Amino acid sequence: MASGLVSDIQRFCTHDGPGIRTTVFLKGCPLDCFWCHNPESKSFAPGLLYTAHLCIACGYCVECCPEHAHSIFNDEHHFDRTRCRECLACADECYTGALEQVGREMTAAQVVAVAEKDRAFYEESGGGLTLSGGEPAAQPEFALEICSLAKAAGISVCIETCGFGPAERFLSLAPHVDLFLWDLKDTDEARHLASTGAVLAPILENLRRVDRAGGTTVLRCVLIPDVNLNQQHLDGVAAVFRSLANCGGIELLAYHPLGASKLERLGIECTRPLPAACAPDELVSAANYLRGLVGESGVIER
Amino acid sequence: MSDENNNLSRREFLKAGAAAVGGGMLVMNGVGAAEAKSPGAKSMGLANFDAVFPSPSRLSAATRSLASRSLSGEFGRALASLDARIDDVVDTKGMSGEMRVATAIRHIAANAPLRIHPLERVAGSATLREASMHRVPMCDLYSVSHTTLGFGRVLKLGYGGLRRQIDERLARGGLDEKGVDLLKAMRLCIDAAGVWHGRTMARLEELARDSSGDEQACYRSVLANLRNVPENPPTSFAEAVQSLWFLYAFQRLAGQWSGIGRIDQMLGDYLKKDLAAGKITLDEARELIAHFWIKGTEWCGEAAAFGGSGDAQYYQNIILGGIDASGREVTNDVTYLVLDVVEELHISDFPIAVRLNRRSPEKLLRRIAEVQRHGGGIVACYNEEVVIKALTEFGYPLDEAREFTNDGCWEVLVPGKTTFIYSPFDLYQRLQQALGLNGDGVQTPDYSDFESLYGAFRANLRAAIDEHNKGADGYATNAHPAPLVSLFTEDCIERGRGYYDRGSHYSVLATHAGGVGDVANSLLAIKKLVYEEKLLTLAEMLDMLKSNWQGQENLRKLAQNRVPKYGNDDPEADAMARRVYDDFTGYAAQVKERNGVWRPAGISTFGREIEWRAGRKATPAGNLQGEYLSTNFSPAPGTDSEGPTAVLKSYCSMDFTRLPGIGTVELKVHPASVKGEAGIRALTALMKTFVKLGGCFVHIDVVDTAMLLDAQRHPEKHPNLSVRIAGWSARFATLNKEWQDMVINRTQQVV
Repeated sequence: MASGLVSDIQRFCTHDGPGIRTTVFLKGCPLDCFWCHNPESKSFAPGLLYTAHLCIACGYCVECCPEHAHSIFNDEHHFDRTRCRECLACADECYTGALEQVGREMTAAQVVAVAEKDRAFYEESGGGLTLSGGEPAAQPEFALEICSLAKAAGISVCIETCGFGPAERFLSLAPHVDLFLWDLKDTDEARHLASTGAVLAPILENLRRVDRAGGTTVLRCVLIPDVNLNQQHLDGVAAVFRSLANCGGIELLAYHPLGASKLERLGIECTRPLPAACAPDELVSAANYLRGLVGESGVIER
Repeated sequence: MSDENNNLSRREFLKAGAAAVGGGMLVMNGVGAAEAKSPGAKSMGLANFDAVFPSPSRLSAATRSLASRSLSGEFGRALASLDARIDDVVDTKGMSGEMRVATAIRHIAANAPLRIHPLERVAGSATLREASMHRVPMCDLYSVSHTTLGFGRVLKLGYGGLRRQIDERLARGGLDEKGVDLLKAMRLCIDAAGVWHGRTMARLEELARDSSGDEQACYRSVLANLRNVPENPPTSFAEAVQSLWFLYAFQRLAGQWSGIGRIDQMLGDYLKKDLAAGKITLDEARELIAHFWIKGTEWCGEAAAFGGSGDAQYYQNIILGGIDASGREVTNDVTYLVLDVVEELHISDFPIAVRLNRRSPEKLLRRIAEVQRHGGGIVACYNEEVVIKALTEFGYPLDEAREFTNDGCWEVLVPGKTTFIYSPFDLYQRLQQALGLNGDGVQTPDYSDFESLYGAFRANLRAAIDEHNKGADGYATNAHPAPLVSLFTEDCIERGRGYYDRGSHYSVLATHAGGVGDVANSLLAIKKLVYEEKLLTLAEMLDMLKSNWQGQENLRKLAQNRVPKYGNDDPEADAMARRVYDDFTGYAAQVKERNGVWRPAGISTFGREIEWRAGRKATPAGNLQGEYLSTNFSPAPGTDSEGPTAVLKSYCSMDFTRLPGIGTVELKVHPASVKGEAGIRALTALMKTFVKLGGCFVHIDVVDTAMLLDAQRHPEKHPNLSVRIAGWSARFATLNKEWQDMVINRTQQVV
């Protein structure tokens, strides 16, 4: 039985593919988008979130920390991240949620068992399980086993992916996946590399191969002001869409800088200023522009 | 306590406990991922709430304008008062109580101010302030509320038909003196209604004469609709709408607070006939329904006089959809027109409950979802399959069970046939009693195992039900005269007895327990922390509760965050809730009837979670003294971290066919999770699954904390933001701060 690292599971997701879905976030991502919405799921190791305002300065973390990263002075808790080796002993002892482990080892069967819980809701809504991340395909055996177990159990499977990685991973997932939600970060080679740390070409190649193999896709595009919120990118997205035989459409999402709130809890310094949120009217005009390129049905509004 | 554990230090106990208790739980970073997955969710305030879910515009500008004037409190602030007591105006010496009240009603009909607005398409206004304050004007009597009268029957009969029934009954003889007197009082009420009708007609004639153009045309159409009703059965949809409102408004004027009931069933056939004959269009019919709805807001603005619980709690409930006595689906054009009107005007003053079943029309579910999405929780849903089964298993005949409505909150009853009273109690108090925490001299108990503790709780629960059963012995006879209410209630005429004198076909005293979730959470915390993990002894736990967990914040957080809670689809927590529920319903069902009084059991708090706070100590589940605990059959605030599907799963794991008094669950859904077509489908699926899983009654409320906080700080910006909890709905701005805080504190279920 394959197992892997899960950063979160959310029930009643209504915009991660059709119907009411349970979204499973696998931990770890090969990309390094500076504007990442889920920075806690980037690393492939369990991590420690620290939320200072929840702390009651009980001092249990001080006792259990082998690195002496925690201390209490004047009834106030101090956390020295430079000493922390993320052994997570303190998170076990912290009942307030101030110190919280992100990333837990689960087996594929355990994941599917959680998804099973809302089967009645999937049946009424056409929903199911959505594998997200991080990058789910970056834990290939785990992802494959979750998808195949769910599929075998009659649960619809969506996978949200950045598309980066060896093509075989995606091709082997395809038979067990009803819909790929393909996150197309950017269509400009140079900008893609600069803002995600990864080259674009293999992502597009994987997309085309999945498409040729009969995999159904939806292109998901987060629009980020001053990064990809421009006509050239929208033209690029439309071109990719038109090149695919089995793509159901393009879904535009508005970027928001809320990921930053998690950076602080992760103890990660924001090295590059984050873009501003994409305003609702910017999203609407982008969608309208795109409709002009790919037709009414090419733009999906959930 | 095992020897092995005894040898461990407290410190290690804690450690062992953390692993054992927390081990099975997946600690989730709910909010974080939610933020990421629903772009824009947090930035969405009321400003673009309407932009996301724009209200359609189907009604005329005049109707919309009248609605906004009425909602603003213009008419409610103008309510008048008849200060005199009837006894100072008329010689009531020697009159029976029933006759005295009927005499007052006659006086009110002749003297209450009339209010007729030039834009109104439906006439009849309850213009007395005392009535809006739950009092019978001129009589020093409280209103009858918690009932739905037989408006459907009286609409078809007309007052004329009722008068004939009374005369026939008097002629048949066999009534005692009291009965004859009551029937005469009822007839006086009908005469009074006639007086009020006559005055209204005369004023309308006058206004029509002195006006011109559109205004005159409007008066004339109202005159035409009112001329024959409610004395006679309506001959058109317009007459039926006018008649129903006139019947309803008159009992309001006389200080009675009935619910309305199945309006689509009452009006649907009239509309169908008129549509087929080309006498009316759907647009015209919608205008009339809108004016009926606006009428329901004419007491807005009087909230201050009625205390802090809001201005929308006049118990004027409406039921839509569901099957009729013969099993046919009722849903018709009127159902949809009502939803159109509510969607457009955001009027929450008629709280609506839709009766759903597995064959409910797809279009109905979709329209409900679309209306729900505007927030305010105006539309709630019964699973009528379960409710009808619970009622028939309790003893109601199938055809009557199929006609159920509610009492103006959401407890179900057979309308027009039932005297309904309920007696509530706090289940959590029974657990406190068993734990010796009620400060009544009971020694701190020392239960050797969990089953002994549970047995003591169960014994206390049984004692409470036994005590409540005795309430049936003193059940209303000869109490509280209400001749107008009796007139609308079967078998009062036949028996010659009043509504509060055992005249009604059914006399009901429902036992309602609240706090199931709190009891289950607390029992599970004790079971785990004291008896399984042995982190502390029961005596230590009780000491901590007595001291309000003082100095034990870490243990409190452990109890709060690492012990499963009801409402998360957790098998262990739900099993505990089920055990408590089964014991309550099972024992209550042993006495279904006593002294001719029916004794259905229900689960509710109806806002009592506020007053019950005073008697509740800190809880083993980690609540501090004075915290808001669970409402109705919902999870305790802040404990439901798994979202609405999990709440429904937990709730639906109960067997609601055991609960003829029913019990409700409240789901709060974030606007972001129900936006777009996907959101409509998600809401529809939530409702369908609720029915499929055997739920009983659900309020789905689309609301967002940021919006509520803003509404608290800037009530002027959100005058019509409405919320619904605990069986009533109210405009948020009309709640006092304590109620507002409670609404805000309740869990947000975000995607």
